[in-house]
Amino acid sequence: MLRTRMSSTASVDALAHLRLWQLISPALPVGAYAYSQGMEYAVQVGWVADEDSAGEWIEGLLGHSLAHLDVPLLRRLRAAWRDDDVGAVEYWNALLLAARETSEIRDEDLHLGSALARLLNDLGVAGLASWPGARRATYACVFALACERWHIALSDSVEGYLWSWCENQVAAAIKLIPLGQTAGQRLLMRLMRPITETATRGLTLSDDEIGALAPGLALASALHETQYTRLFRS
Amino acid sequence: MDGSAAVRVGNSWRARLALGFEMQGARTVLARRSHVGPLRVQKPFYPEGGACHVYVLHPPGGVVGGDELDIEVNVGAHAHALLTTPASAKFYRSGGACSLQRQTLRLAAGATMEWLPQDSIAFEGCNMRSDTRVQLAADAHFIGWEILCLGRPASGERFRRGACRTRFELWREDVPLMLERAQFDGNAPVLSARWGLGNANVTGTMMATGANRQTLQCVRDAVADQDGGVFTASLIDELLVCRYLGVHAQAAHNAFVQAWTVLRPLTLGRTACLPRIWKT
Repeated sequence: MLRTRMSSTASVDALAHLRLWQLISPALPVGAYAYSQGMEYAVQVGWVADEDSAGEWIEGLLGHSLAHLDVPLLRRLRAAWRDDDVGAVEYWNALLLAARETSEIRDEDLHLGSALARLLNDLGVAGLASWPGARRATYACVFALACERWHIALSDSVEGYLWSWCENQVAAAIKLIPLGQTAGQRLLMRLMRPITETATRGLTLSDDEIGALAPGLALASALHETQYTRLFRS
Repeated sequence: MDGSAAVRVGNSWRARLALGFEMQGARTVLARRSHVGPLRVQKPFYPEGGACHVYVLHPPGGVVGGDELDIEVNVGAHAHALLTTPASAKFYRSGGACSLQRQTLRLAAGATMEWLPQDSIAFEGCNMRSDTRVQLAADAHFIGWEILCLGRPASGERFRRGACRTRFELWREDVPLMLERAQFDGNAPVLSARWGLGNANVTGTMMATGANRQTLQCVRDAVADQDGGVFTASLIDELLVCRYLGVHAQAAHNAFVQAWTVLRPLTLGRTACLPRIWKT
């Protein structure tokens, strides 16, 4: 069956790219725009105050947190879905969730994960129905399933995941600081090389290298829970 | 275990301490203890009835590259153990070899453990790894913390060189409740960036099971920010996760003791009973 699919490689690859764009589009109805991941607090206390400091915040987290957590976990979850190894899906998903630092960051991951799971189910993507732990699915876990079923190349899927995360963070910065649209586009251009570097590095990590706490992010996220005025849910 | 098997490899120690606590009648006793190399416990204290207070000692006081310290604690069904240390764990500058501190804490059904050590100090140029893994049975209770100080700020020493890896993990049966893994390398962006340590050199994490919204609120109300540092609390399911980021290990300790003082009656049904060595 796999062979039949692979026989029309060209058309499969073309669709795979389009499907990745669908998956990482801000129009994907999972509600990611409602989350700032601590940036709202960072802006309130002046840690993030302009284009440059926003770039440092986003690029720094990309190279530290996402490189050591989301990227290696995407790889492992992808392999688990490929092998239909529900035990491995469960294990890596639980590990990713437990590495999320605060209540809001965990809730965000679970909200996005279940929203994407519902969507994939409605689109006829198989896999979630057979996994009893699906209601505790993280976003990366469901994202990895979609990429596996849609034959998206691993490195493309990881860069896509990081790109959509950056785009969402930049959108939050534009709203919160605020920044102009052109500044936002400059930020995205600045983040392109770090995205590819993060993907490359994160994909080579061993199990022992997974996980890297960002104490300032954990602090910002925990204090966001009691922040007086809030536009974002994290 | 045979105490004569204390292993000294070159200039490095392989030290091991294994403790087993059991319920006997109305009180918890230290039923098993064995050690290899320079790790000890003092005679247990009973300052508050049945709970067993134990001080873990590491007489050399410091850890050099290549040393391995392995502490394993088993708390039996319904037993209650409180462990602390009289002094900071110091990780000295290393010529290259990694020093390892591994702490495995296992709690059986209905057991309670309080893990309240002094801080670990990572000297500039050290190569250290500290792993603390707490393994809980379904209805076991845990309150504990880990505090890390990078460099020796009192001597003006920062952490421009060195490698520091820490883990603080809490599992309930097969499910990880919190996996905190930190990587602080000398001169890495994480040391100075706002999302990282923001040039603070002390970071601490405290975890307590059996918490709820009310517990969270009480802790937030009770704990004041300390001496230029920031204390936070977040509730993840039944786990309260408190963190401190600042410049003084003692301030982190004070913040966590304040939180523990509030948490203990709420989650363990006991008023706080401060270990005597903290007062000296």
